[in-house]
Amino acid sequence: MITINDRGARTRAVLRRFSRSTTMTLLCVTLAGYLALGVASSGEFFQGPSVRTFLQYLATPILIGLAQMAALCVGQLNLAVGALGGFTACLTGVLMADDGVPAPVAVAAGVLAATLVGLVTGVFIVATRINGFIVTLGTMTILLGAQYRLAGTRTIDGYSPTLKDLGRAAPLNLPLVFLTALAAAALLAAFMYRATAGRRLLAAGGNPLAARLSGISTDRQIVLAHTLSGLLVGVAAVTATASLPGVNRSVGGDWLLPSFAAPIIGGVALNGGSVAVFGTVLAAFVMRLIDAARAQFSLDPSWVNFLIGLVVLGTVVGGRIHQTHLEKKGKAQGRTPPAPVGPGPTAEAAPPNAGGAQ
Amino acid sequence: MRTPVTTPEHDSRADGTAAIRQPAQRLPLWVNQRLGLLVLTVALAALFGLLRPAFLDERLVLFPLLRDISTLTVVALAQMVVLSVGHMNLAVGRMAAFGALFAGLGYDRLHLPLQLGLLLCLFAGAAIGFLTGWIIARTGVSSFVVTLAMDFALLGLVSLLYSALTENAAFTTQPSGLMDLRSTSLADICVGPVCGSPAVPQMAQFTVLALGGLGFLYTRTRLGRELLLTGANPAAAELSGIPTGRRVILAHALSGLLAALAGFMAAVGTGTFRASIGDDFMLPSFLGAVLGGTLLTGGVVSVLGALLGTSLVGVIRKGLDLLGVGLESLNIYLGCVLLLALSADRVRTVVSYRKVVRST
Repeated sequence: MITINDRGARTRAVLRRFSRSTTMTLLCVTLAGYLALGVASSGEFFQGPSVRTFLQYLATPILIGLAQMAALCVGQLNLAVGALGGFTACLTGVLMADDGVPAPVAVAAGVLAATLVGLVTGVFIVATRINGFIVTLGTMTILLGAQYRLAGTRTIDGYSPTLKDLGRAAPLNLPLVFLTALAAAALLAAFMYRATAGRRLLAAGGNPLAARLSGISTDRQIVLAHTLSGLLVGVAAVTATASLPGVNRSVGGDWLLPSFAAPIIGGVALNGGSVAVFGTVLAAFVMRLIDAARAQFSLDPSWVNFLIGLVVLGTVVGGRIHQTHLEKKGKAQGRTPPAPVGPGPTAEAAPPNAGGAQ
Repeated sequence: MRTPVTTPEHDSRADGTAAIRQPAQRLPLWVNQRLGLLVLTVALAALFGLLRPAFLDERLVLFPLLRDISTLTVVALAQMVVLSVGHMNLAVGRMAAFGALFAGLGYDRLHLPLQLGLLLCLFAGAAIGFLTGWIIARTGVSSFVVTLAMDFALLGLVSLLYSALTENAAFTTQPSGLMDLRSTSLADICVGPVCGSPAVPQMAQFTVLALGGLGFLYTRTRLGRELLLTGANPAAAELSGIPTGRRVILAHALSGLLAALAGFMAAVGTGTFRASIGDDFMLPSFLGAVLGGTLLTGGVVSVLGALLGTSLVGVIRKGLDLLGVGLESLNIYLGCVLLLALSADRVRTVVSYRKVVRST
């Protein structure tokens, strides 16, 4: 038991150190980018309305990044993020506009539906032992169809004005939806770093065998991770419904790639066992900055995707080179050699795994 | 992205591939996934034909259906090649668009003949695949991340190039022969008085070539075995003297080449070279390969399975469409079919494994 405590403490220490380094870089990039944009727009970018728009459209990227991260932390991928988000948004919209359900009930129903879909996905993966990638690919297809069936070709916009007002409300130029996203991030961070259930999730993701041997059901963790992912997607869908002028079948269509980009830039390993809540939030910031810069200089929207691709590639390759450099230099104490399996851990992933995970 | 491969899967599915020669123990015939797929596809086609005789209309239904299947089979093969080394290629669609861009550019600006444009397209695809593979092999970063980033980058780059090079974001110049390639079927090729079926498009030649080439590569050549070994166990492959890095690069370059071929075929099918080519390739690429029996974990491929898996999906799609199931519900059924097929497969392998174990 002492060793586990020790390992926990060490992992936490390593984790803290690592999060400081990655997040510091991201923080610097964010601040520098923001300042540069402000200067380029001759100060207009710092003014209230600009800040508000900037933060308004930041809520969804943060939430979907976190949703993907919840699945990634047990080594699962959730391809259904976009489809589930779109489906939930349309469901909420249709419930309010067509069936006259009051907004709070519809929102609750939407979030609940998303959570349930996540739960079912997780149970299905565990029950059939089919790769999560394929299962979520299947649920993605089903949900896309369901979303199209709900919304058809129309745009649903006749729903509760209160919800729309809430979506656009911005006390002190801080949009409510952005605060919602931040609150979700804070709760998730508390859950992952402080709660026993969260630690179990990470343990199961870092080394399933060791987790099983120490009495953690990896199956249950997979179900929990997908449920959590579904819940976060549900919240993302609600913020999207609230802040968009209307929902249609294209909502969620472009969520999948950013949902992966944010955690990867933020320093989450794809093979599980690590989370970086703050890093993911910052990475969403960086991506939003690229988008804002594109709008500022009125460039082709295609530049955003191109640049995000380069940033993702640069982050992982740079991190990898950095890690190899470190290994050559000091043969970091107690670090096991990288796993022989193809998808090696990214640089940011290695330190937490060094605590006996790999 | 987990590596542990359960034994039942290996035992039952490997029988179609040359990766592992089964000793005396052979699994019963009904476990053969490809046979099941074939039977299911034929049965469904017959059912749809009975319900809607229009389904068997050679020119209006079967011809476009087979053209779609031809294209998507190549897409599935592009995915299968990377799956064979245990990697993924999320950028298949974008690589297809990238290849098609070069073909269109060649026809529009350089006034290349049809064949040379195709060559340029294939070369561009292979080059971008090579670059992807090189980054993966060199840095050791997961293929998922690298191809995801590549997808992003190409998504932007291809649209940028189209808007920079063309006026309305598409190359419409068509070299001589392109229209023929699009509409020619076996009916136009006659040997004496016997003509082929008007249902089989000429474009299927590319698919047959790709299928034959890959089949030969994986079953007959050392290179193919080395690819599979790299996928099954990279560490063991490295230790037995296989340059795994180079094999990974080869797999990605091949995937890029096949993706570009699929992009060319899709462009020929629609008649224009535009940025939206390959937008919807990712789902079919995995569907075809995985339904066909290729393992996501690497080491097991099924070339014929990719064709059969794609055909099944194509037949279901077309059949439901003819039955009047709206576009909106089509995806729901397709997703259910995918999950059901895989679950059934799972049950089958587990049951057959138990039987085999009991009989020994």
